[in-house]
Parts: sequence; C-alpha cells; structure tokens
Amino acid sequence: MYFFEDPQFGNRMITLMAAFVLVLQIAMVCQKYLVTNIRVFAVQSFLLAGIANTIAYFNHAPHLYIAAILTFALKTVALPVVLERLVKRIDIAQEIAPLVNVPLSVLISGGLTTVGYVVAESFRRTGESASPASLGQNTLAVAVSLFLIGFYMMITRRKAIMQVLALLSLENGLFLAAISLTYGMPLIVELGILFDLLVAVMVLGILVYRIQETFDSMDVSKLSRLRG
Amino acid sequence: MILFPILAIPLAAGALSFAARKRPAMEMINVVAFAALFLFAVALAAQVLRAGTISMWNDALYADSLSALVILLTAFVALLCSIYAVGYFRDDERNQAFEEDVLGSVTVAKLRKYYTLTPLFVFAMLLVALANNLGVMWVAIEATTLTTVFLITLYGRATSLEAAWKYAMIGGVGLSLALFGTILTYYSAHLVVGAETLAGLNWSVLVKNAPQFDKTTMKFAFILILLGYGTKAGIAPMHTWKPDAYSEAPVPAAAMLSSATLNCALYGMIRFYILASRCLDADYPGRLLLLFGTLSIGISVPFVLVQRNFRRLLAYHTIDHAGIMVTALGVGGPLGTLGLMLHMTFHTVAKSLLFLCAGSVYQHFKTDLFRKIKGGVIRLMPLAGTVFLMATLAIIGTPPFSLFQSEFLILRAAFAARHYVPAVLFVLFGTGIFAGALLHVSGLVLGQGDAGPVAPWHPWRDMAVLLSASILLILGFWLPGPLFELIRNAAQIVSGQ
Repeated sequence: MYFFEDPQFGNRMITLMAAFVLVLQIAMVCQKYLVTNIRVFAVQSFLLAGIANTIAYFNHAPHLYIAAILTFALKTVALPVVLERLVKRIDIAQEIAPLVNVPLSVLISGGLTTVGYVVAESFRRTGESASPASLGQNTLAVAVSLFLIGFYMMITRRKAIMQVLALLSLENGLFLAAISLTYGMPLIVELGILFDLLVAVMVLGILVYRIQETFDSMDVSKLSRLRG
Repeated sequence: MILFPILAIPLAAGALSFAARKRPAMEMINVVAFAALFLFAVALAAQVLRAGTISMWNDALYADSLSALVILLTAFVALLCSIYAVGYFRDDERNQAFEEDVLGSVTVAKLRKYYTLTPLFVFAMLLVALANNLGVMWVAIEATTLTTVFLITLYGRATSLEAAWKYAMIGGVGLSLALFGTILTYYSAHLVVGAETLAGLNWSVLVKNAPQFDKTTMKFAFILILLGYGTKAGIAPMHTWKPDAYSEAPVPAAAMLSSATLNCALYGMIRFYILASRCLDADYPGRLLLLFGTLSIGISVPFVLVQRNFRRLLAYHTIDHAGIMVTALGVGGPLGTLGLMLHMTFHTVAKSLLFLCAGSVYQHFKTDLFRKIKGGVIRLMPLAGTVFLMATLAIIGTPPFSLFQSEFLILRAAFAARHYVPAVLFVLFGTGIFAGALLHVSGLVLGQGDAGPVAPWHPWRDMAVLLSASILLILGFWLPGPLFELIRNAAQIVSGQ
C-alpha cells in the first residue's frame, strides 16, 4: 500500500496541520503588527483548507473539496486582500497595543489550549472507531482552543480591525470543529456560512472605516458615550 | 406553493426599491409589498391550520403552526412599520434630520438604504421561520444582524456608529456560539440520521429521532445555543447592545427589532429546546432557561427605575419581556408554552406600538429625554399621548389588556410546576418594572409641561398608530378563534402534548 492510500498517514497529516494552525493562532496573539496578523490569518486559513482537502481525500467525502476550495478562495485570498486594503486606506499606525502584555497573553493562550483539550476529552466516544471523531481528538481540541483564543483576542484587542480578525479566527475554529466532527456541515449550510462571513467582513469593514473617520481613531474603548 | 411568494415578495421589494429613483416610488413599493406579504401570511396561517404542516422543495422549506405564527407576527409588524415609516421619514426630511442634507440627493440615498435594507431584513426573518435546515436557519439569523447594521447607522451620528459596532460585534460573537451549538447538534445526531446528506440537519427529521441523540453532546450544544440565540434575543447578561441599538436606529426599524427580531431569536431557541427536551428531558433545558430568564427580568429592573431616556426605557423593557418569554419556555408544559405563545403574540403588538408612539413623541419634541420634555404630551399630542399611555398600561400587564392574561398564565404555570423561586422573583421584579414604567410614562404623558403648538394630524404615522392601538384594544377582550387555534397548536408543538 502506498503511503497516500493509508488512512493512518492521512490522520498524521491532519494532526500535523492542526498543530500548525494552533501555533499560528498563538503567533497571532503575540504579533505586534497588523499586516503581519492578517497574513498569519491567511496562512492559517490555507492550512485549514488543506485539512479539509486531506479529510475529503482519505475519508471519501467529496463535498468537502468544494468547502476546501471556497475556504481557500475566501479566507486565504479575498478576505485578507480586503482587510489589507482597508488598513492601507485608513493609514493607521501599525502597532497593535494590546491591553495585556505579550508574555502573559501567551501564557493565557496556553491555559486556554489546556481547557480545549479537557473539553474535547468529554466528546470521546468509546468503541466507535467508524465515526469521524476518530479523526483524532487532537483536531477537536485544536478547534476548541482556536475558538477560546479567538474569544480572548476579541476581549483584549482595542483596535476595531483586530477585533474583526479575532472574530474571523474564532470562525476558523468552528470550521475546524465542523470538519473534524462530522466531515463538515451539509454543503448548502457551508455555502451560507461563507457567504455570511463575506458580507460580515464587508459590513464590518465599512463600519471600521467610518469609525476611523468619525473618531479619528480605531480604538474601540473610545466608543463609550452610550450608557445607562 | 404558498411558501414561495412569502419569500419572494420581500426580495423583489428590496430589488425594486434599490432601483427606484424617487422617494414616493420607494414608499409605495414597501407598503404594497408588505400589505401583500401580510395577506399571504394570513393565507399561510389558514393553510397550516387546515393541513398541519406545509413543505416545499424536498422539505427545504417547512412550515408548521409555530413558524406560521412567527411569520404572521413578522408580516404584521413589517406592514405596520412600513406605513409608519412613510410619515416618519417625510417628517425627518422636513426637520432635516439627516446630517449631510445639503444637496437633497443625500436624503434620497439614505431613504433608498432604508427602503432597500428593510425588505431584505424582513426576508431574513421570514427565512428564519421557514428554513427547515437548522444551519440555514442560523445563516438567516446572522443575516438579520447584517441587514440591520446599516439601519442603525442611518443617521450617521457618532453614537449610532458606536451602537452599530457593539451590535455587530456582540451579535457576531453570540452567533458564533450558536453556530458551534448547531455543529454539535449535528454531531450528536449524525450517527442516527446519517451525515453528509442535506436532510441531516432538517428539523423535521431531527425531531423524530431526538431521543436517540448523544446526550452529552446535546447538553453541551444546548448551552451554546442558549447563549448564542440568547445574545440575539438580548437576554442578560448578553443584553448590553440592546438599549444602544434600539435608541439609535430609526424608529420603524427599532420597532421591528424589538418585536419581530426578538421573536425570531426566540424561535431559534425554541426549535433547539424541543430537540433538547425530547433528547434529555424538559428538566435540563428548563432549568437553564429559568436561570437566564429570571436574570434578565431582574437586571432590567434598576435600569427601568432610573431611566432618563424613553427609548432606552423601552429597550430595557424588551429585555424584561425577553426574560419573561424565556422563563415561560423554561417552565414548559402545556400551560407554560401556551403562555409563551400568547405572550409572544401580545408583546409583538404592544411593543411595536410603543416604539411607534415613542417615535412620534421624539419627532415632535426633537428629544428622547424625560428631563427635556417634562410632561404634558397628552395635551400637545392627544393621539400619540393617549396611545402611549394605553400601550404602557398594556405592556406592564394591567387588565383588561391581553398581556395581563399571558403573564398570569405563565405565573400560574410556574406555580403549578413547583418553580416557586422563579415565580416569586417574577412577581417581585414585575412589580419593580410596573412601578418604574408607569411612573416615567405617566409623568411624561400627564405631567405638567410647557405650552406649545398642538401637533397636527400626520396621516401615515397616526393611521399606523391607530390601527395597531385598536388591534391591541380588541385583543384584550376578544382573541379570534382561528388565531387562538394557531397559538394553541404552536404551543403543542413545543410542549409535545
């Protein structure tokens, strides 16, 4: 048997890529520059598309190829381009200036990854080797960690555009969860989610642009006039 | 076949409004489209009453009594608000409320934005109720957020940008939780119903197989769904976007958000509640719902008591009512769910009317602060003032208005089900809300105020208010037989008995 027909090999590939996805997420937490962050997100999405492709190939789930292609087109190419153009257009300072300093953030991300593994553990089903969950507990744990770290980034970032990016990486975690648990959602749902994501980035992009114009800053902590 | 026009009409109206050149054309397109939509919604309700369920396109669209009720309410509010919006925006134009109103063309652009996005928003809400696939339902609920972001920023104030940002971000995070919940539901079901097929997430398929789902996963999924769609419904502690968004959005949009969109978010939650209660049993989701419901009712009390702005007062009031409905769902059983459905119906009528009245008052006095208006609205605006007070009395649950009946029913159900703590808290918090809302609004309407010109008759705005007020009044004494039948069937779907 050639190695590219061996499901074990596929599993190892998926786990490897999932590990890189997690590393990139933590890299995003400690990155200082906005544009770099957008590119890290693009690479992360590229790896996700790769995982989807690998699952589609080794587990004979052809509809995942379409999801993989769309993920690549949208999250690796279209959205990063849109976001980078936005950054250029509003010409903001490149430094991110997070609320929590980098070493502590990395430590917290590590903690959140542990939480992800604990949560994923509770989904382990015994004696069901045929279920897609046997793709590896690792993938689900990574997905939950991505979700939690994305959450954490949203809370600690002050720049509006970084919050958008955090929301997107959080969504990456969901995509990974969907493909690792059930070979992805039905195609129509996957299409709908990606379409919503595209519109959401457009809407949020326009909003960011107008916030920058009105407040002369992208610091969302300045958005605090409505109270009570 | 009837499901197709219900979705097609608002889409077509959106496209036509986008292409329209002049303001009257856009107004007419919206009013006519929503009138037609309302007729179709009534026809759908009638068909569902006769046939039980209707489906289309291989079960992709699916309507039972619960969806028919939500569609009927959505179509009613949409029609009401489209009539009101005509007068409201004409008045806005006269007052030059739009900031860059120098060229005149900017106003038309803003109106086009409103009249194009509103039908799309309504389309998304209808799709929530009609989609059989729970993933598609999620997409539609997300679409209700995306279509309303620019409605909230319509006036282009700095504060409306702030409100829209909070709305979009909190909504986005909330809905991502809901998506996670949907994925987990799919996972807990896929061994039973078979994955990779379109029907794998169809509610009509899932509900038949719910008892065999994986229980641990379903428990986890329901928590995520509750948090996710709860954010969209604005229950505590994820409610913070609500007062901002409701007070910054143009009044007709706020009226739709506070009634129809709330129903849609609850509808999503109810669909999953049914799955969870069949899979686990009603106790587990019930406890969680009671916790969050009571918390929402409680958290709105201090804000209602010390509120300075009447549109924000109404927003906190909506948080209270979202809490009441979630509590009713948590109580469950035939009685609790009947109370929930009745309350949803009555709340939709009363709350949209309240926002419209508040809008009329806001446009007349050009402020929404109690302090600046002082009082005496009833003397300057006889119609809006009277109806405002009447609708407030209705919504805080004074008899003979119908909300008294539904709240009393929920309370009785809670006692009957031995949920004593939530029931007592419900009464306690309810008293606080009652006192706060009555104090503020009666002061505003009846109190001593400055003399001024009496508001003239505004045909569109006042017609909409009168129409809705008479419906609210009639519902207090007489609930039409077929409507009650629909409500009862919807409650049966939820409670399963």
